[in-house]
Amino acid sequence: MRAEELRGHLDSLLLATLEGGPRHGYAIIDALRRATGGRLDLPTGTIYPALHRLEQARLIKGSWSVAAGRRRRMYQLTPAGVRALAGKRADWREFAAVVTAALEARPCPDPA
Amino acid sequence: MPGSSLIARHLGALSARLPARIVEELADGLDQTYRRYLEQGLGEEAAARAAVAEFGDPQLIVASFTAASPARRAARRLLVTGPGAGLCWATVLIATRAWSWPVPDAARGAFGAALLLAVALLARAAFRQSYRAASHAAIAGCLCIAVLDSVMIGLSISLAPMPRWPVALAVVASTLRITYGVRTVARVCFG
Repeated sequence: MRAEELRGHLDSLLLATLEGGPRHGYAIIDALRRATGGRLDLPTGTIYPALHRLEQARLIKGSWSVAAGRRRRMYQLTPAGVRALAGKRADWREFAAVVTAALEARPCPDPA
Repeated sequence: MPGSSLIARHLGALSARLPARIVEELADGLDQTYRRYLEQGLGEEAAARAAVAEFGDPQLIVASFTAASPARRAARRLLVTGPGAGLCWATVLIATRAWSWPVPDAARGAFGAALLLAVALLARAAFRQSYRAASHAAIAGCLCIAVLDSVMIGLSISLAPMPRWPVALAVVASTLRITYGVRTVARVCFG
């Protein structure tokens, strides 16, 4: 899956990787890789600016910590981030259901 | 160690264009990517090449950071809200017959030139691809805006004959812009 296909969904994926608790940048990338079976083909260096953008939007909060003598920037979801993730998840489910129904020529499920 | 030198070159390219605190974070991620490839059995050179390739071109990373930078966001917000604040002040100037204020022509000219400079600096911050150039321009532009708005507030309070609603509106708009500009400068300078 190429980077341009991800456009618009990267923020949701990053928020989802932080749902289980705080992580640093590489751990987020690793979690994303595992969650997608390694099928995301995007330069991992561009994950960091996306994290900074989410931090500016106050959806995640970053702080420095020291592990094994090394400073690392840890990120965690804010309450606004939790709400945003729930909203994005609901939007995606609806979008996926509608597109799947259209592609497979099935009746579109009623919105719950 | 050939792998390390390749990674050091990659980080050097990023260091030249990004603040140290960002490069420190990137260095940790790149180092861990490199270590993962070493653990997978690649040699140092091959692991470094794979890590650098996976991480992405420094120019692309810098462009992504610039697009997400607080400097760029603040510059665009101040540019977008500028006409609104200008309209508030124009209303005040007309309502209070500002042409009769005892302000020397040289000071009026200097104010106009400073306003043009502030707009040019903010436009540079809003559209430049260089992170450092955008940050420096945003800092200068925000400070310029803060000074100009402070001057207008001071003049209107000391010279306008009485408090009127356009003055109150303009002062509130300028105070918000000053506060936002100063906070942006602090964020850009100190993270």
